[in-house]
Amino acid sequence: MAFVDAALAGVAVVSASVVAGLAAYGMSSSRNFLRQMLSIEVLFNAILLIILVLAGVNPAYTTAFAILLVSVVSGEVIVLVSIVVAFYRVARELQSTALEEEGV
Amino acid sequence: MVEEYIPLIGGILGILMILSAYFTVRLNDLVYSSVSLAMLGLFNAALVALLGYTLVAVFLVIVYVGAAVMFIIMSVSMLGGGGEEKRDEAAGLFAGAAVGSALLLLLAGTGIYKAFTRASGVSVSHVSEILASDYGVVLAIIFVALAATLVEAISIARRG
Repeated sequence: MAFVDAALAGVAVVSASVVAGLAAYGMSSSRNFLRQMLSIEVLFNAILLIILVLAGVNPAYTTAFAILLVSVVSGEVIVLVSIVVAFYRVARELQSTALEEEGV
Repeated sequence: MVEEYIPLIGGILGILMILSAYFTVRLNDLVYSSVSLAMLGLFNAALVALLGYTLVAVFLVIVYVGAAVMFIIMSVSMLGGGGEEKRDEAAGLFAGAAVGSALLLLLAGTGIYKAFTRASGVSVSHVSEILASDYGVVLAIIFVALAATLVEAISIARRG
Protein backbone atom coordinates (compact mmCIF):
# COMPACT_ATOMS: atom_id res chain seq x y z
CA MET A 1 0.00 0.00 0.00
CA ALA A 2 2.74 2.45 0.98
CA PHE A 3 4.74 1.47 -2.11
CA VAL A 4 1.71 2.07 -4.36
CA ASP A 5 1.12 5.50 -2.77
CA ALA A 6 4.77 6.51 -3.11
CA ALA A 7 4.90 5.30 -6.74
CA LEU A 8 1.71 7.19 -7.60
CA ALA A 9 3.01 10.34 -5.88
CA GLY A 10 6.31 9.98 -7.74
CA VAL A 11 4.51 9.68 -11.08
CA ALA A 12 2.36 12.74 -10.25
CA VAL A 13 5.37 14.84 -9.17
CA VAL A 14 7.45 13.94 -12.25
CA SER A 15 4.51 14.63 -14.61
CA ALA A 16 3.77 17.95 -12.87
CA SER A 17 7.43 19.01 -13.10
CA VAL A 18 7.58 18.27 -16.84
CA VAL A 19 4.25 20.07 -17.39
CA ALA A 20 5.54 23.08 -15.40
CA GLY A 21 8.67 23.10 -17.58
CA LEU A 22 6.53 23.08 -20.73
CA ALA A 23 4.45 25.93 -19.30
CA ALA A 24 7.60 27.98 -18.62
CA TYR A 25 8.72 27.26 -22.18
CA GLY A 26 5.36 28.44 -23.57
CA MET A 27 5.38 31.64 -21.50
CA SER A 28 8.94 32.60 -22.40
CA SER A 29 9.07 31.55 -26.04
CA SER A 30 5.85 33.15 -27.32
CA ARG A 31 5.04 36.85 -27.57
CA ASN A 32 1.33 36.17 -28.10
CA PHE A 33 -0.88 37.19 -25.16
CA LEU A 34 -3.28 34.28 -25.63
CA ARG A 35 -0.46 31.72 -25.79
CA GLN A 36 1.08 33.21 -22.65
CA MET A 37 -2.31 33.05 -20.90
CA LEU A 38 -2.76 29.41 -21.91
CA SER A 39 0.74 28.64 -20.62
CA ILE A 40 -0.10 30.22 -17.26
CA GLU A 41 -3.15 27.91 -17.06
CA VAL A 42 -0.92 24.91 -17.85
CA LEU A 43 1.35 26.01 -15.00
CA PHE A 44 -1.67 26.21 -12.65
CA ASN A 45 -2.55 22.57 -13.42
CA ALA A 46 1.00 21.48 -12.59
CA ILE A 47 1.17 23.48 -9.37
CA LEU A 48 -2.22 22.18 -8.17
CA LEU A 49 -1.00 18.62 -8.61
CA ILE A 50 2.22 19.35 -6.69
CA ILE A 51 0.28 21.04 -3.87
CA LEU A 52 -2.07 18.05 -3.53
CA VAL A 53 0.86 15.63 -3.30
CA LEU A 54 2.86 17.71 -0.82
CA ALA A 55 0.03 19.03 1.37
CA GLY A 56 -1.64 15.71 2.06
CA VAL A 57 -1.20 15.72 5.86
CA ASN A 58 -4.88 16.44 6.49
CA PRO A 59 -6.90 15.47 3.38
CA ALA A 60 -10.05 17.34 4.41
CA TYR A 61 -8.19 20.63 4.87
CA THR A 62 -6.23 20.06 1.66
CA THR A 63 -9.53 19.50 -0.20
CA ALA A 64 -10.96 22.74 1.22
CA PHE A 65 -7.79 24.62 0.27
CA ALA A 66 -7.81 23.18 -3.27
CA ILE A 67 -11.46 24.16 -3.76
CA LEU A 68 -10.69 27.74 -2.73
CA LEU A 69 -7.66 27.73 -5.05
CA VAL A 70 -9.65 26.53 -8.08
CA SER A 71 -12.37 29.13 -7.37
CA VAL A 72 -9.88 32.01 -7.26
CA VAL A 73 -8.07 30.83 -10.40
CA SER A 74 -11.36 30.53 -12.30
CA GLY A 75 -12.12 34.17 -11.41
CA GLU A 76 -8.61 35.20 -12.43
CA VAL A 77 -9.09 33.57 -15.85
CA ILE A 78 -12.12 35.76 -16.54
CA VAL A 79 -10.25 38.97 -15.70
CA LEU A 80 -7.23 37.88 -17.76
CA VAL A 81 -9.38 37.14 -20.82
CA SER A 82 -11.22 40.46 -20.51
CA ILE A 83 -7.87 42.33 -20.32
CA VAL A 84 -6.73 40.52 -23.49
CA VAL A 85 -10.05 41.41 -25.23
CA ALA A 86 -9.67 45.07 -24.17
CA PHE A 87 -6.05 45.13 -25.39
CA TYR A 88 -7.06 43.58 -28.73
CA ARG A 89 -9.75 46.22 -29.24
CA VAL A 90 -7.21 49.00 -28.75
CA ALA A 91 -4.10 47.58 -30.43
CA ARG A 92 -5.72 45.27 -33.04
CA GLU A 93 -2.99 42.72 -32.32
CA LEU A 94 -2.13 40.24 -29.59
CA GLN A 95 1.67 40.58 -29.45
CA SER A 96 2.93 41.49 -25.98
CA THR A 97 5.95 43.21 -27.59
CA ALA A 98 3.65 46.18 -28.17
CA LEU A 99 3.71 46.84 -24.42
CA GLU A 100 7.47 46.58 -24.02
CA GLU A 101 9.43 49.74 -23.39
CA GLU A 102 11.96 50.99 -25.90
CA GLY A 103 15.07 48.83 -25.81
CA VAL A 104 13.72 46.19 -23.41
CA MET B 1 -5.06 -6.79 -7.01
CA VAL B 2 -6.44 -3.61 -8.57
CA GLU B 3 -4.14 -1.57 -6.30
CA GLU B 4 -1.08 -2.74 -8.22
CA TYR B 5 -2.30 -1.09 -11.40
CA ILE B 6 -2.85 2.34 -9.84
CA PRO B 7 0.73 3.64 -10.47
CA LEU B 8 0.48 2.35 -14.07
CA ILE B 9 -2.80 4.20 -14.64
CA GLY B 10 -1.22 7.25 -13.00
CA GLY B 11 1.73 6.97 -15.38
CA ILE B 12 -0.55 6.80 -18.43
CA LEU B 13 -2.48 9.85 -17.19
CA GLY B 14 0.83 11.64 -16.56
CA ILE B 15 1.98 10.97 -20.12
CA LEU B 16 -1.37 12.19 -21.47
CA MET B 17 -1.01 15.34 -19.34
CA ILE B 18 2.47 16.00 -20.73
CA LEU B 19 1.24 15.50 -24.31
CA SER B 20 -1.73 17.83 -23.73
CA ALA B 21 0.58 20.47 -22.21
CA TYR B 22 2.93 20.16 -25.19
CA PHE B 23 0.07 20.63 -27.65
CA THR B 24 -1.20 23.61 -25.65
CA VAL B 25 2.09 25.47 -25.92
CA ARG B 26 3.07 24.33 -29.43
CA LEU B 27 0.01 24.02 -31.71
CA ASN B 28 -0.21 26.86 -34.22
CA ASP B 29 -3.99 27.17 -34.00
CA LEU B 30 -4.87 28.75 -30.64
CA VAL B 31 -8.37 27.24 -30.66
CA TYR B 32 -6.86 23.75 -30.76
CA SER B 33 -4.40 24.85 -28.07
CA SER B 34 -7.34 25.85 -25.85
CA VAL B 35 -9.02 22.50 -26.47
CA SER B 36 -5.74 20.82 -25.45
CA LEU B 37 -5.84 22.88 -22.25
CA ALA B 38 -9.31 21.48 -21.54
CA MET B 39 -7.96 17.95 -22.13
CA LEU B 40 -5.07 18.73 -19.77
CA GLY B 41 -7.58 19.81 -17.11
CA LEU B 42 -9.53 16.58 -17.53
CA PHE B 43 -6.42 14.36 -17.29
CA ASN B 44 -5.27 16.39 -14.30
CA ALA B 45 -8.67 15.84 -12.65
CA ALA B 46 -8.38 12.09 -13.29
CA LEU B 47 -4.93 12.03 -11.67
CA VAL B 48 -6.21 14.11 -8.74
CA ALA B 49 -9.07 11.59 -8.30
CA LEU B 50 -6.52 8.76 -8.35
CA LEU B 51 -4.63 10.56 -5.55
CA GLY B 52 -7.81 10.27 -3.47
CA TYR B 53 -9.12 13.83 -3.80
CA THR B 54 -12.34 12.97 -5.63
CA LEU B 55 -14.14 16.12 -4.46
CA VAL B 56 -11.35 18.33 -5.83
CA ALA B 57 -11.44 16.35 -9.10
CA VAL B 58 -15.19 16.91 -9.48
CA PHE B 59 -14.78 20.61 -8.66
CA LEU B 60 -11.92 20.88 -11.15
CA VAL B 61 -14.01 19.36 -13.95
CA ILE B 62 -17.15 21.39 -13.22
CA VAL B 63 -15.73 24.80 -12.30
CA TYR B 64 -12.31 24.94 -13.98
CA VAL B 65 -12.75 22.92 -17.18
CA GLY B 66 -16.51 23.39 -17.45
CA ALA B 67 -16.54 27.14 -16.88
CA ALA B 68 -13.12 28.81 -16.98
CA VAL B 69 -11.49 26.83 -19.82
CA MET B 70 -14.71 26.83 -21.85
CA PHE B 71 -14.72 30.63 -21.46
CA ILE B 72 -11.14 30.70 -22.79
CA ILE B 73 -12.08 28.47 -25.77
CA MET B 74 -15.03 30.70 -26.69
CA SER B 75 -12.98 33.92 -26.32
CA VAL B 76 -10.10 32.54 -28.38
CA SER B 77 -12.56 31.38 -31.07
CA MET B 78 -14.00 34.90 -31.29
CA LEU B 79 -10.65 36.74 -31.20
CA GLY B 80 -8.78 34.47 -33.61
CA GLY B 81 -5.02 34.01 -33.43
CA GLY B 82 -4.13 37.70 -33.39
CA GLY B 83 -1.81 37.53 -36.40
CA GLU B 84 1.55 35.90 -36.86
CA GLU B 85 3.09 34.56 -33.66
CA LYS B 86 6.59 35.77 -32.78
CA ARG B 87 8.69 33.20 -30.94
CA ASP B 88 11.97 33.25 -29.05
CA GLU B 89 12.82 29.56 -28.92
CA ALA B 90 16.14 29.98 -27.08
CA ALA B 91 14.59 31.90 -24.19
CA GLY B 92 11.73 29.40 -24.01
CA LEU B 93 13.99 26.37 -23.97
CA PHE B 94 16.19 27.95 -21.30
CA ALA B 95 13.23 28.85 -19.07
CA GLY B 96 11.53 25.48 -19.59
CA ALA B 97 14.67 23.50 -18.83
CA ALA B 98 15.42 25.64 -15.77
CA VAL B 99 11.93 25.35 -14.25
CA GLY B 100 11.47 21.67 -15.12
CA SER B 101 14.87 20.55 -13.86
CA ALA B 102 14.63 22.68 -10.70
CA LEU B 103 11.25 21.16 -9.82
CA LEU B 104 12.42 17.64 -10.64
CA LEU B 105 15.51 18.12 -8.48
CA LEU B 106 13.54 19.65 -5.62
CA LEU B 107 10.60 17.24 -5.59
CA ALA B 108 11.75 13.95 -7.12
CA GLY B 109 15.44 14.26 -6.25
CA THR B 110 14.88 14.81 -2.55
CA GLY B 111 12.23 12.06 -2.33
CA ILE B 112 9.86 14.40 -0.47
CA TYR B 113 6.88 12.78 -2.27
CA LYS B 114 7.50 9.42 -0.52
CA ALA B 115 5.65 10.65 2.58
CA PHE B 116 2.44 10.91 0.55
CA THR B 117 -0.54 8.73 1.46
CA ARG B 118 -3.67 8.66 -0.66
CA ALA B 119 -6.54 10.67 0.80
CA SER B 120 -9.46 8.61 2.06
CA GLY B 121 -12.61 9.24 4.05
CA VAL B 122 -13.04 12.85 2.94
CA SER B 123 -16.77 13.54 2.95
CA VAL B 124 -18.57 16.51 1.42
CA SER B 125 -20.18 17.36 4.76
CA HIS B 126 -16.79 17.40 6.53
CA VAL B 127 -15.23 19.67 3.91
CA SER B 128 -18.22 22.04 3.90
CA GLU B 129 -18.06 22.12 7.72
CA ILE B 130 -14.36 23.10 7.52
CA LEU B 131 -15.10 25.72 4.86
CA ALA B 132 -17.94 27.21 6.91
CA SER B 133 -16.15 27.19 10.27
CA ASP B 134 -12.36 27.41 9.84
CA TYR B 135 -12.33 29.12 6.45
CA GLY B 136 -15.49 31.23 6.96
CA VAL B 137 -13.74 34.59 6.72
CA VAL B 138 -11.63 33.45 3.77
CA LEU B 139 -14.76 32.20 2.03
CA ALA B 140 -16.53 35.53 2.58
CA ILE B 141 -13.53 37.44 1.21
CA ILE B 142 -13.40 35.16 -1.83
CA PHE B 143 -17.15 35.65 -2.48
CA VAL B 144 -16.73 39.43 -2.42
CA ALA B 145 -13.49 39.28 -4.45
CA LEU B 146 -15.05 37.04 -7.13
CA ALA B 147 -18.11 39.29 -7.38
CA ALA B 148 -15.81 42.32 -7.76
CA THR B 149 -13.76 40.37 -10.30
CA LEU B 150 -16.81 39.71 -12.44
CA VAL B 151 -17.84 43.38 -12.39
CA GLU B 152 -14.24 44.34 -13.18
CA ALA B 153 -14.10 41.89 -16.11
CA ILE B 154 -17.34 43.17 -17.61
CA SER B 155 -16.19 46.76 -17.14
CA ILE B 156 -12.79 46.16 -18.79
CA ALA B 157 -14.28 44.25 -21.72
CA ARG B 158 -16.96 46.89 -22.38
CA ARG B 159 -14.67 49.90 -22.04
CA GLY B 160 -11.81 48.51 -24.17
